[in-house]
Amino acid sequence: MSTTFLPCGEYHQNYHEDHAWWQTRFIKGKMIALMLMLFIGIPYVADEYWLSVCNQIGYTALGALGVQLLIGFCGQVTLGHAAFLAVGAYTSTLLILEFPWPKLLLDLGLAYPLSIFIAAVAAGIWSVIFGLPSAKVKGFYLILTTMAAQFITVDFVITQYISQIGGRGQAFSLPPGTIKIGPWVIDSDLKIYYMMIALVIVLTAAVLNLLRSRVGRAWVAIRDNDISAEVMGINVVQYKLFAFFVAGFIGGVAGAFWISNLAAISPEHFPWFWSLWLVGVILIGGVGSIHGTIFGSIFMVVVMELLQMAVIPLAASYPKLLMDFLFIKEAAFGLAICAFMIFEPNGLAYRWWQTKNYFNLWPFSY
Amino acid sequence: MKAKALVVVFAIVVAAGVCSTASAAEVVIGALNDMTGATSDVGKDYALGIGEAVNYCNDNGGVNGKPIKLVQFDYGYRVPEALTKYKLFKRMGAVAVEGWGTGDTEALAPTVTADKMPYVSASYSGHLADPKKTPYNLFAATDYSSNARATLTAWFDKRWSKHADFGKRKPRFACSYMFASPYASAPIKAIKDQATLLGFDIGPDQDVSLFAVDTKSQVLSLKDFKPDVVWHGNTTMSVSATMRDAYALGLGADHIMNLWGFDENLPRLADKAAEGAMAATVNAFYGENTPLMPTVVEYAKKFNPGVPQEKRLSRTVQGWSNVLALWEAMKRADKAGALNGEGILQKGFETMKDFDLGLGGAKLTYTSTDHRVSGKVPVYEYKNGKFQLVQVTDLQGRWPDKWQSWLGW
Repeated sequence: MSTTFLPCGEYHQNYHEDHAWWQTRFIKGKMIALMLMLFIGIPYVADEYWLSVCNQIGYTALGALGVQLLIGFCGQVTLGHAAFLAVGAYTSTLLILEFPWPKLLLDLGLAYPLSIFIAAVAAGIWSVIFGLPSAKVKGFYLILTTMAAQFITVDFVITQYISQIGGRGQAFSLPPGTIKIGPWVIDSDLKIYYMMIALVIVLTAAVLNLLRSRVGRAWVAIRDNDISAEVMGINVVQYKLFAFFVAGFIGGVAGAFWISNLAAISPEHFPWFWSLWLVGVILIGGVGSIHGTIFGSIFMVVVMELLQMAVIPLAASYPKLLMDFLFIKEAAFGLAICAFMIFEPNGLAYRWWQTKNYFNLWPFSY
Repeated sequence: MKAKALVVVFAIVVAAGVCSTASAAEVVIGALNDMTGATSDVGKDYALGIGEAVNYCNDNGGVNGKPIKLVQFDYGYRVPEALTKYKLFKRMGAVAVEGWGTGDTEALAPTVTADKMPYVSASYSGHLADPKKTPYNLFAATDYSSNARATLTAWFDKRWSKHADFGKRKPRFACSYMFASPYASAPIKAIKDQATLLGFDIGPDQDVSLFAVDTKSQVLSLKDFKPDVVWHGNTTMSVSATMRDAYALGLGADHIMNLWGFDENLPRLADKAAEGAMAATVNAFYGENTPLMPTVVEYAKKFNPGVPQEKRLSRTVQGWSNVLALWEAMKRADKAGALNGEGILQKGFETMKDFDLGLGGAKLTYTSTDHRVSGKVPVYEYKNGKFQLVQVTDLQGRWPDKWQSWLGW
């Protein structure tokens, strides 16, 4: 599924072409069009509401990217990823509010960008700690140990100790103007959108590159059969822990990004349900596909919003529909997962692959 | 063919929704409610009250002849959901929002300030009462911090003075609430400050989830400290669970609580353990004798006949209070020719002085420097199967030198 057929008449003549990012002019054109749409089209067309929807897609995609890496590429099932988002968010917030940054860094607006990186490293290390059991356990047992990450991190450490730092209402409210990158104060949906797009592109490219490397191949080998991988000389424990680190790192970036959208954070922002939701995103998008992560995020956020939009005009006749929408939404989430598991277990990414190949092979597709 | 037709119909309906905005003749207000989340035990009834009160406003002329269109969403107590819903309200042309929880209200506070959007919440957090920080956050009730101070003071005045150990030792006080919940922890600093002011020994806090049904370990921890009084910061369901466990394990302490843990469901859920429970209330209980209560009951029967009257709670009345206060502010702003966020705040809310909603709550006074509606807080107790007034604690009158410094926390 990872290989897309080249259009009729296109051939690779050397290894470099075979491994190029954008393999044909048409693909290059498509990607440039995509960038133009992301950086100019959407900000030009979308109002504040749709920009906030895009930001939620980005947050979901960043969160799900780490889950995809762990489950889809390394075969380590996780149900506690919201914990690493929380570590990222809290580390970044604490660094911004409490750390005595040198004046130069503050003046240059580097405190927040640096805090994102430190938060990501902290979340990565924290993730490795909860990845340690993966050296010994697999499957359902590993799921339970990752769930422990959620309860230990959010419900215990953050709630009982971290939240108490500085007294309530002081440490964790982020006054306007606190989040700054260079000369820009991140104070509007549009600025948050640009930051989100930049982070999603950079991290997606980084993960894609990693997957093309020795590390990525080792992860896939472990996912497919860890015993065979070990026999081939792959240090299984080391690579599993590295996968946890990278997943946690990305989760940390997601959490640190999300605080730019909030004026206050509390442990309530990182419920266990969110970990489950992220797994739902990759199931619907397609396990083992980076495209799938993005598609799943768009599906989960946009489809729910469109359902909401459908409810609004109907509410003129049945006002209770608006209030009952959350039931509809929860049911839609459950139904979507069931439907994808039954009818399209490879997720939206598979459909995308089929569609692309149909056009690439045209007129000889059959 | 049928599937295609369905897709077309869905697309048309979605397009209608995407394009929906307010018509010039109507005034749109948004409402965020929790019918399914962590605080739904009290949120459902509040949401019903909001809807019924808006119907009442429209039956009585709307905003000077313009009907009010209510767009009401259940956000399940999820903060990210609340953020996008707020943007949707703005897109639909809402002039004000009836909000719900402390977490989302505080998270949205800078945004509503920047947008000049009056945000009348069911979160009565003291942090939201300082117009210097959060000018567009309002509520038609005394704030959590004032309520907590008033309730502890009432217990000190009425119960401790009759205690066998009065004058021999300091009274012991502890708090039980969900640490992670901004709502539950909002008045902690204030109530501990009040406890210090009144000379209490303060024990260790107990972390009790909003979903808790078993709190024996927390009660056993409390037993080591032997508190005379425990303050509960959660909503009715988990407060009643803690009180039941405290009763069963013989904690021997009195119970005082935040108002969201004190309603008609408390004695139903806690039974004998509810006897003597005490809390500040912000309006009358459902069905009590106040000028507007017959109307509240009439609208409840008319618009939600499927909900039995005996199941309705004082939360309905709280919903009505917030809607009626906003209605009054909008009417005043409209009369002044400024039916917009700034007008609703300055020509509406901030012109109210001792305004009585007729629902048994404090008379509302908002000024440009203080959004706490009153310094006098009525404290009730549940005794002999009835909710009864214990005292009206006059915080402003009793601590005039401190009252101003208590603003905003």
